Amino acid sequence: MRRKLRISGILLIFGLVIEALSLCWNSAISFMSFAVFGGMFFAVGILLFLYSLVPSGAYLNNN
Amino acid sequence: MMFPSTVVFFLIGASILLILVVVIRPSITASREGKILAFLALFIVPLVAAGVGASEHMERSEQTQFCLSCHIMEPYGRSLYVDDPSYIPAAHFQNHRVPADKACYTCHTDYAMFGTIQAKLNGLHHVYVYWFGTPMHPIRLYHPYNNRECLHCHAGARSFEDSPTHTAMMSDLKSNKLSCTTSGCHDTFHPVDKLGQVKFWKPTE
Repeated sequence: MRRKLRISGILLIFGLVIEALSLCWNSAISFMSFAVFGGMFFAVGILLFLYSLVPSGAYLNNN
Repeated sequence: MMFPSTVVFFLIGASILLILVVVIRPSITASREGKILAFLALFIVPLVAAGVGASEHMERSEQTQFCLSCHIMEPYGRSLYVDDPSYIPAAHFQNHRVPADKACYTCHTDYAMFGTIQAKLNGLHHVYVYWFGTPMHPIRLYHPYNNRECLHCHAGARSFEDSPTHTAMMSDLKSNKLSCTTSGCHDTFHPVDKLGQVKFWKPTE
């Protein structure tokens, strides 16, 4: 779980950095980089975090 | 305009700091407080930061500078500086009949219920075609220009309502039976193919 949290956090940081950089310019390229690359990092990061919350099979068997 | 950007950058900074705490010390999630912190850091705060960032981008996409950031739109931007009042977009832009920083959006959005959303979707389509397709040349509108967009500002304005020409055809104009852009009326727009032959207005700094 901790590994997934770390990866999720790193992906989210990438997404946030892309968002910050994209806001430094006002152009179609910056908007698309935010929407495509930033959005991808956000989506994968958040989904990985949510997935890390799901108990594993071993945990369920022990309980 | 600076205020929303400041909020977004503050949120991004706070979000990165919170995430770093979890990434550097994931063991804190063993406690209940740590789990709450991780939930905030890896879910709530990034979602809010992304949402506010998206909102800021949407707001910026209405700006003239944004529309003209695509190379293909440059001549249309130059046409706003044509020194001839018969050119409708230039006259509106130069005399601030439309906000100069939102000139494209003000005239090229539908003033209907979902006009803003439609304009944003069209914009995404334009970006897609610009990069992955073949943009049409010259650029044409999807539909004939609707009088509704003109009347959004001009209806009720004294100079428009008092004009005998307008009064005589008012019902046809309001019902869109007769276009404002009919040949012989207001039919001169972006002269992108004649930019080498026209004079330009140079705004004083």
